[in-house]
This record gives sequence, C-alpha cells and structure tokens, in this order.
Amino acid sequence: MRAFAKLHPAVNLVYFLCVLSVCMFVPHPVLEAEALVGGALFCAATGKRGNIKGELLFYIPMFFIAAAVNPLFSHNGVTPLFFLNGNPVTLEALLYGVSMAAALVGALLWCKAYSGVMTSDKHLYLFGRLWPKLSLVLSSALRFIPVFLRQSRRVGRAQKAMGLYSGKSLTDRIKNKGRVLSSMVLWSLENAVEVSAAMRARGYGCGRKRTSFSLFRMRAGDKVWLSLCLALYAAVLAAALTGDLNFSFYPKIGEISLSAAALLGYAAFGALSLLPFAAEIKEAVQWRYCVSKI
Amino acid sequence: MKKDIPLFLGIILIVAVLVNGTHIQSVDEYYLTHIDDITPESKTVTLSIRCDTVLENYGDLDPALKSDGFVPPDGVILPPTEYVLREGDTVFDVLDRAVRYNKIQMEYQGSSESPFGSVYIQGIHWLYEFSCGPLSGWMYRVDGEFPHYGCSRYVLHDGQVIEWVYTCELGQDVGAEWMGGQGK
Amino acid sequence: MEILRVENLSFRYPKAEGFALKDMNLSVQSGEFLVLCGPSGCGKTTLLRLLKKELSPAGELSGRVLYGADAPTVGFVGQNPEAQTVTDKVWHELAFGLESLGLPTEVIRRRVGEMACFFGIEGLFRKRTDELSGGQKQLLCLASVLVMQPQVILLDEPTGQLDPIAASDFIAALQKINRELGITVILAEHRLEDVFPVADRAAVMEDGQLLLCCPPRDVAAFLSALDGHHAMLRALPSAARIWQSLRLPGDCPLTVREGRELLERHCKTRGALLPEEERAHADDAALELKSVFFRYERDAPDVLRGASFTVYRGVIFCVLGGNGAGKTTLLNVAAGLDRAYRGKVSVFGKPVKDYKGGSLYRHCLALLPQDPQCVFAHDTVRADLYEMCEAAGIKKAEREERVREEAERLGVSHLLERHPYDLSGGEMQKCALAKVLLSAPKLLLLDEPTKGIDAFAKQSLCGIIKDLQKDGITAVIVTHDVEFAAESADRCALVFDGEILSADTPRRFFAENSFYTTAANRIARTLWKNAVSCAEVSERFLAEGEDG
Repeated sequence: MRAFAKLHPAVNLVYFLCVLSVCMFVPHPVLEAEALVGGALFCAATGKRGNIKGELLFYIPMFFIAAAVNPLFSHNGVTPLFFLNGNPVTLEALLYGVSMAAALVGALLWCKAYSGVMTSDKHLYLFGRLWPKLSLVLSSALRFIPVFLRQSRRVGRAQKAMGLYSGKSLTDRIKNKGRVLSSMVLWSLENAVEVSAAMRARGYGCGRKRTSFSLFRMRAGDKVWLSLCLALYAAVLAAALTGDLNFSFYPKIGEISLSAAALLGYAAFGALSLLPFAAEIKEAVQWRYCVSKI
Repeated sequence: MKKDIPLFLGIILIVAVLVNGTHIQSVDEYYLTHIDDITPESKTVTLSIRCDTVLENYGDLDPALKSDGFVPPDGVILPPTEYVLREGDTVFDVLDRAVRYNKIQMEYQGSSESPFGSVYIQGIHWLYEFSCGPLSGWMYRVDGEFPHYGCSRYVLHDGQVIEWVYTCELGQDVGAEWMGGQGK
Repeated sequence: MEILRVENLSFRYPKAEGFALKDMNLSVQSGEFLVLCGPSGCGKTTLLRLLKKELSPAGELSGRVLYGADAPTVGFVGQNPEAQTVTDKVWHELAFGLESLGLPTEVIRRRVGEMACFFGIEGLFRKRTDELSGGQKQLLCLASVLVMQPQVILLDEPTGQLDPIAASDFIAALQKINRELGITVILAEHRLEDVFPVADRAAVMEDGQLLLCCPPRDVAAFLSALDGHHAMLRALPSAARIWQSLRLPGDCPLTVREGRELLERHCKTRGALLPEEERAHADDAALELKSVFFRYERDAPDVLRGASFTVYRGVIFCVLGGNGAGKTTLLNVAAGLDRAYRGKVSVFGKPVKDYKGGSLYRHCLALLPQDPQCVFAHDTVRADLYEMCEAAGIKKAEREERVREEAERLGVSHLLERHPYDLSGGEMQKCALAKVLLSAPKLLLLDEPTKGIDAFAKQSLCGIIKDLQKDGITAVIVTHDVEFAAESADRCALVFDGEILSADTPRRFFAENSFYTTAANRIARTLWKNAVSCAEVSERFLAEGEDG
C-alpha cells in the first residue's frame, strides 16, 4: 500500500515542495486545516497499524503545547480573556496559537511523510542528476559506513578477547577506544586502496564520461500526477496572489474570505493535500476488487 | 521507578514556582485601577498619546489595522490629560496607570527581557512596532525633548508634559534629531 | 585462437630484493579455463595484475603481455568480496561498470537485468549490499564484472573468504560462464579440489617462475617426476594425492568418483573399520557449556538453542558446521564476549561471569578472531607483539626474550619488521597467533583459522597447534574446513540449528557422516568406512596389498 511512494522521485519531490511551500508561505486557517488533515490521513494510510497510538500520543500533546505557548508570549488582540502577571491573555492570541499549532503539526506530518517516501536512493537519484560524482560519493559512503561500524566492533571485541585494555577502569577504556581507532585508520586506508582498485578494474576513470543509472523511470502516470500537482499548485498561488487568502489574527480576527478566488484556493489546496491519500485509497480499492475477482 | 523520583520532585518544584509567580486577574479586576483624585496640593503631569504619523503613511499600515477603531481619524489615542504624580513615578508608571484607567490595550517587554535595561513599549492601542513600515514604533517626549534612555528610568517631576508619539521613520518625522531610536 | 600471450615477463617491486616474476612465458587460448596454482608468494597475484592494465603495480618490468587481435576486454575479480563492493545497492553495484563506460540508461537496464537472471540473483536485486552473505557478495562481484562483457576474466583467489559450499557454488558459476558464454577464465586458486575437474589446463608457479603448464590430470605425474615430496602435491585434489602416493597405473583421477573406482579396482576390501586409537585426555574440563541459549536481540530468533558440550583439558576440539549455524557465536559466548541468557558457561570449572575485570583474558583464555587483521594496530608486527607484552604484564627486561621465543615457536621471526597488512593470509594468521599467545593462555579459541590460507600454510598451522597441545594448551577450533579438522582434531562436533549434534573422535565422527566429510573419506568409504585422511587411505592400501 505505497502507491504514492512508487511514483517517480521527481514527482514526489515536486509534490512535497508544493505542499510545504504553501504551508510555510500562505498562512491561512483553512489551508492549515487542509494540510493537517491531508498529512494525517496519508501518514495513517501508509504507517504501520500498531504505531498509530504512539503517534497520536506524540502529536496531540505537541498540538496543545504549541497552541498554549503563543498566548503566554503574545498579548496583542482586542478581546482579553484574563490578565496574567499584568499582561492580557487574548482570544486572538489563543486562536493564533491554535492555528500555528495546526500548521506546525501539519508540517511535521508532511515532513514525516517526506522522510518515509523520499528514501536515500531517491535523493541520490535526484541529486545525482545534478552532479553525478556526488551521487557516487554518497552511494559509496552509504556502503562504507555499515562496513566500518561492523569492522570497528570486531576490532573492539578482538582486543577484549586478547586481554588488551579489557579492564573496566576509565584509562583502560580510553586506551581501548584509541587503539580501536588507530586500527580502524589502518583498515580504512587498506580498504580505500582495495576499493579504488576495484573501481579502476571496472572502468572507473577510464576517461569516458560517466552516466548515472537508476531504476526509476518516468511513466505516463507520473506525468499525469506531475501536471495535476502543478496545476493545483498554480491555482493556489493564483488565489494567494489576489490577496484573498491573506488572513490576520491581530488585533482582531479577520474574516475567512468567501470570494471566488478564495474558494478556488481552498478547493485546489484541499485537492492537493488529499492527492496522496486518494492514491493510496485507489490502490487499496483496486486491490480489493482484483482479489474479489479471483 | 526509583530513578524517576528526582524527576517527579523537579516537576513538582517547577510547577510550584510557576504557580507562585503567576498572578491571574480577570479583565474587570485588571482595569479597576485606582487613579488618585487631583487635589490642589497634589503634583501632576500631563500625558498624551498620538499617532498622527500613521495617517501620513496610511499606505504602509498593516491592512488588518486599517480601521477607525484602531487608528482614530484625528490621530489622538489619548488627549492631553493631567494625572497625579506619585513619589518616584517614572514615565512608564504614569503611562501604565493611564492606559489601564482608560482601558487602552498596551503590550510591553519588562526591563529584564529588554536589551535596554528598561521597559520597552511594544504596542499601544494595537499599534505595534513595525505595524506601519519597518522603521515604525513608539517614542516618548518629555517637555518637547526626546530622552536618550528608557521610559522606566525617567523619573518625573511636577508639571512635566509627556507625549507618546508613533513614528514611522525612526523618529525623524516626529522631530527627534538623533537616530538611535532607543527613546521609546 | 590465442587470446593472450605472456613473453619473457619479469617484474620486480620497487625496493624488493628478488624478482616477483622471472621470465614468464605463457599462452592462453580463447575460451580456455586456466588455473594458476602455487604456494603463497609465488607470483600468481602479480601476474594477474600485470595482465589487467588498470591494476598493474608499479615496478621494474621487462618482457611483454600481448593480447589477441581484437583487443579483448579483461575483467578482474579479487579475493575479498567485501573490499570490492563499491556501492550500497545490488542494482547499483551491477550497473557501476556500465556507468563508467558511459552507456545510456536503457542499455544498462537491459544488461543488468539479463545478468541478474543469468546468475539467479533477481531476488537480491533491490537489497543492500551489506545484507548479502559472503558467497552472494562474491557472486555479485563476478556478475558486476561480467555485465561489462569481458572476453577474459581474471580471478585472484576468489573463494579464499568463502565457506566450502559457497566456494563450490562459485566455481560452478565460473564453469557455467566458461562453458555457456565461452569466456576465457584465468583463475588463481589454492583450493584445487573443486577446480581441477573443471579446468582445461593448470599452470603451477614457484618463486615467480612457471614450473609447468599442462592439463590437470598430468600435474600430479609431472610434479612427482620433479620431486616426490613437492609442496604443491599437498594442494592437489585428494584423489590425485592418493593416486600419486600409491603410484598406481592409469590416468590420474581428479574427482571422488574416479578415485573410488580406482581404489575399488585395485583392492578387494569392503566395509572394513580401522581400529580406533584411544587418545588420552585429562578428566577436568577446560570449557563446559550447559544448555546455553543466546540471541542477539530481544526479538531476534535464538542463535544458540541449548548448546551443550565439554572440552577436556589438553584436547584439540573442532567445531564444524555450515554458515549461520552459530559457530562463531558459540566461540564468542565461550569467550565471554556475548552473554548467554540461559544456561551455564564455565572455563576451567569457574563460570565465565565470575571472572572479573578481564581476568579471564590473562593467562587463561584467548580468542583469535576470524579476520586476523582485527588483531593488529601498529606499523610492524614487532610493535604489535610488544604492545601485547605490555598488556600481559611482562616485565620490560623480559619482553624482547618473550617476543623472540614466541616468534620462533611460530616460525615468524623473519616477519617481525614487516607491516601486518603486507603479510600473506597464512603469515598473518601465524603472527596473530603469536600475538595472542603472548598472554600465555591455557585455552585457545580459534575462529576459522584456515580461511584464505594455502595448503602449505594449513599444514604448518596444524603442526603448530599440535605443538601447542604438547605444551598443555587446550584448543577449540571453529571451522568449516573438514580436511583440516580431520587432520588436527582429537574430537569433532557438528553444530546445527544452534545445537551441538554430535561430538566424537574424527574417525567415528566422519564415518557417521556421508556428505559432511573429507574427500578422502568419500573416496575410500566403501573400502574402509572410517579412513579420514589421504595418508591413512594410502597407508591402509599399501598394508593390505594390491590383491586385484
């Protein structure tokens, strides 16, 4: 059930940039609510079943804390509720806090979705296009790190079992770490020589221009997705540029505009933020249907 | 569980300090400020609050504030009024009493939070610093001069005239020659 | 058609005294499977590297290497699959070489897919490279060289780091690419049991010179004609060794089947049992495990499930078993590196957990890990040995004496000034052992000591362990090398599924097994059920006479 993550990485990236940029630059309660709902639904659809409770336990207190902090520090607003140490706690500041909390939790959910969807190989692929050397460096670093860690654990254990600095005293432990480090420096140099030989043996640095291979390919579905996403984004931007999506809490809560442009903006962003969830649902339904046919 | 005991104690301590240091007042309670009646022998000062410069730079004003409710058409938030001067009163003390008495909204940074070692007035009557362009904010004038230090450090004398004015150009438009902008 | 020719090739490394290669002449035919063999340091690796231009070492070179008319492309696979893997994903590893050649994505996609199918590694395609087993890694190295479609492929001891089953799978894959794709294979190898039957020719090298180059069947005859006790004879397949030592008529056998046919033709004995020699041992246990359970993480499956065994003092105990059976874990638990969550581990009658503050590792127990590189941290072997003296609390005045003593005992005195990483596998193993022995352990635990070392070094290691036994050291050896276990052990045990299945003397142990046993035993088992080594088979054969 990862329909969205299966799309081309460029589509994923463009999508996230669209949603996050709206979240950041167009503060409007309706859009924030839409982003929050969209993000939450997508995370719920793709996350592990057992984790949902834990996630709620994290995000709900987070929401309330973020909402409560603002009125304590901001005293603007025409409707004081009560005074705290001589400063007014206002309805406007409270609602602004709620709105910021929604935006914050929404952004967090989208970032979580981002880290789930945009795995290291997708980043490698996207940034490798810009700079092929970088992608190779990152790829070999990703390869090297686990091997290095495993080897240093081995060295540490080998030393312990030889009785070298295996005591529990601090000096022993420091000496032990230092020795592991010096051994690992030796090993890394040796390893680097061997890896570079292996790379040369496979034509690296033979003078021809390297290409960058990846498993991802742009399919028709990806193009549809990309154009849909960009069209909706353009609609939101257009609505934002008319100024109808401006909203202010201070000093008095503004009105939620119901002009045609504003309605278009709400609808477009609502559709945009629900797209990945809809994709998941569509795939789930198709799968059910297929299974029932069999 | 044993390890958590210091944690619990710590939380209880913090809560206790917070509760102790918090003073909650209802809106009516807060505005129920006692103003001394003026008697012939009492010392007095005159205080006014104006925002004429906003009217000159109305285009720069935050759209949310573009309403007569926030910016009076004549620029007068508080007309010149006489207030009783208590012993050791600073500009801030008088301002605080006056806005409370008149139920004018005000937000300030306490002297410990402000970088000037003095109370800093962030906004009066929902007009905040930067509400009308990047060089805007509140300044005060005593007997026609802009003091070079904070309002909670200026101790007043009998008969002085205090004017709080909103500037949109770091004081230039209200007649402050120096460019520090710290006199608020 | 000739694809490659080496003419009067000599090579000397910078600052080296002798030549690594002297006057080599060798001609390789297109589509040939050539095995290069010879003891460590005979120049196999140097020759292979000189054949691959990109990897040619710097040094003094004379003579030349000629390639066939159509300038064949040459691929190279080294010994250590770990160090040859460049990227983090299997698919990227396969594509790496083609990326270097600058091929477009569509071509790479097809070639990579085709190669994954050919080797049956589609299932691994999207995995991370560090999740693969050693055998899978080496197969991946081979596949990622083959995607570049070389006409010649050079392999430098590719099975050195693999267990026997993965090694024979790898050789089978090589045979497949040789037979089905017609790729010329030049393989440097010291494990000849599996390789000789599939090779077209074998080139035996010694001290940088080509001793002989002929079909594998003739190698044994040529070698014994040269010198009846030539060191290389030990490295030959068991069938050839038996044939050579008995000087039987006919062609030299290479496989178990051929060897058995030969013996059965010449000897009528069937199903006899060799007498069991009783080996004395002390009554007290050096190491005892009682129903030990262990797992690495709380939710992970058990690696050891109630393993129990006893090693008596003064015994050489070999633990055999396949990959992932829990052999290494067993040693780590015994050495107190990992703690069993249930069961009892005691060393010399005292529970391991009661040895406090590293006292277990002082004059008591020592573990030599699988990868001897882990043991070294200094620029010279001598510095490493001195460091160990310091940790073992040997007085300054005595250190030089102790190091000399230990170096002599293991025959590594000439290596003391060398850099540990420059040593060959066998030399490194011996130096590591010398280092470990400086703490004067009474119980020695060895993890795969024969990995990546040649037949000669194996023999000398076996001798060293037996000498140590005479000095009163108990040894527990974990290995998948059945030949080594058969020769060195007093008792053998099989680990399977986290348990010790059987522990017995090598004769009884291998007589009970029909697959997991030495090649010599498989050859001779219809005649003498419990003959284990080539020497035993030859001896029995000569004793019972050629009555056919």
